[in-house]
Amino acid sequence: MNVRIPILKLRDTLIVSIQWELDDQTAIQFQEDLLTKLHETSARGVVIDLTSIDFIDSFIAKVLGDVISMSSLMGARVVITGIQPAVAITLIELGIRLEDVMTALDLENGLDKLQLELEA
Amino acid sequence: MNKQMARYIQENMTEIISNWQEMMKNEKGERSFEVMPAELMDQTSREFAELMTSNLLESHQAYESRLNDFAEKVVRYGWSITFVTKAINHFGEIVFAGMERDGVINSDNLRAFAEEFNKWITPIRDSTIDTYSKTWERTVSLQKIALQELSASLIPVFDKVSVMPLVGTIDTERARLIMENLLEGVVKHRAEVILLDITGVPVVDTMVAHHIIQAADAVRLVGAKCMLVGIRPEIAQTIVTLGINLNEFTTTSTLQRGVEQALAWTNRKIVEVDEV
Amino acid sequence: MSNQSSVEIQTEWDIVAARQLGRNVAKELGFGTVDQARITTAISELARNIYLYAGQGRIEIQRLTENGINGILIIAADNGPGIPDIRKVMEDGFSTSGGLGAGLPGVKRLMDDFKIETTLGEGTDIRATKWLR
Ligand SMILES: Nc1ncnc2c1ncn2[C@@H]1O[C@H](COP(=O)(O)OP(=O)(O)OP(=O)(O)O)[C@@H](O)[C@H]1O
Ligand SMILES: [Mg+2]
Repeated sequence: MNVRIPILKLRDTLIVSIQWELDDQTAIQFQEDLLTKLHETSARGVVIDLTSIDFIDSFIAKVLGDVISMSSLMGARVVITGIQPAVAITLIELGIRLEDVMTALDLENGLDKLQLELEA
Repeated sequence: MNKQMARYIQENMTEIISNWQEMMKNEKGERSFEVMPAELMDQTSREFAELMTSNLLESHQAYESRLNDFAEKVVRYGWSITFVTKAINHFGEIVFAGMERDGVINSDNLRAFAEEFNKWITPIRDSTIDTYSKTWERTVSLQKIALQELSASLIPVFDKVSVMPLVGTIDTERARLIMENLLEGVVKHRAEVILLDITGVPVVDTMVAHHIIQAADAVRLVGAKCMLVGIRPEIAQTIVTLGINLNEFTTTSTLQRGVEQALAWTNRKIVEVDEV
Repeated sequence: MSNQSSVEIQTEWDIVAARQLGRNVAKELGFGTVDQARITTAISELARNIYLYAGQGRIEIQRLTENGINGILIIAADNGPGIPDIRKVMEDGFSTSGGLGAGLPGVKRLMDDFKIETTLGEGTDIRATKWLR
């Protein structure tokens, strides 16, 4: 029962909204799908919205961090949006800082930030 | 015998109270009494004396309620538990000495009276200490809650810009609370820049700095930016002396400069307008 | 008083089941969203460690009441290889698998009490508690 996370394309940006709790397999699959899509579309920006996610453990954090580094290697900037307060606190206490990651309060803010970043 | 004791106390109340106050004032290392205004001291002494006779005369219920009132009061006045215990012992000693002097207690009934005094004083002392510590615990936890509420709310000052003033000492428990309120506030007010104002934080040691850095990191994760304002000269000195690295932080000395910076970050500024 | 339930960890899916169980119990006990996230994350770390390093084991969730205070106890037990150097694994960033190495020291920070017992060749038993304040 592998559910794939849908990846939408809006102009030169990919938008991903994660709606369910991620199991390891889905997370890995997502990493692969996103990189493939980046390659196919040569999008320059990615917004990953985590509003519906209520916890992130070190595994998911690593996958996210890897996705960001890999996207950057492929020439795309990633913005993570909608990290909930409880998730942020837990990540910090776990000792995961996700340095150098662009973040925004929500999808809309994230798209704005990305636009500014890409224009610069 | 109880009746005799109660009668003696009531008839000699004024004298007992003044002897007792004298004795309490002479207690070394206790400032509780010295700092009390005379009027308040007299009133408190009388209440204390009434409490002391209450368990000789009144119902158990009346005694309990007096005891609660009294314990609450002395906790508020800041009497220490040793002071309260001494107060009870001294009161007993004075009454005993007085009754002996007046011949109510003599060599024939000395033993019986000593036992009776014991039966009178011991339960008062036990229950006072008990009530005192319960009241004390409640007071402390109330103060704690008050402090927590006082010092951890996020105040929106402009669209997208909020300030969180931190006041008082920051321990681990408070740091957690501050962090939670901070993040909930950021999301609720849709703040993009947060000014953490530490003007009211007395010391910034490595632990406090660690909490502040963690809070700023968490704020970044939810999608906003944190600035540290209100850094007093002595705080700047300790931060550098301790080797605390706040380089990733934007910091300013005053809230005002911080607000200007925050507005610049959100592409705005304050301008003066000519009156029309 | 205690009340327990447990999940056998054998596949990756069991990790999901274990944290769902933990989250439900935490919710029922009245933990707030932040503590729920802490508890869920801690379970996820411990369950994944079992899956990765011991192959199989068990996550047990207990409700605790002590001096009138409620709490949740997570027990992660396996009969795997054990951990050779506990001091080292409790340092941030130590990993034998290319992970972030945040797991165990992180769980310790997320929970109120943390105990670890391990014997080489026999297995590992980790207990972590969170109290409802
Ligand atoms: N149940 C276990 N049995 C045997 N070894 C273990 C067990 N749990 C942890 N370890 C060992 O302890 C090390 C540290 O574990 P920890 O969870 O802290 O980090 P990690 O799993 O390597 O990375 P992360 O959890 O950040 O993805 C592991 O690399 C592994 O060698
Ligand atoms: Mg791990």
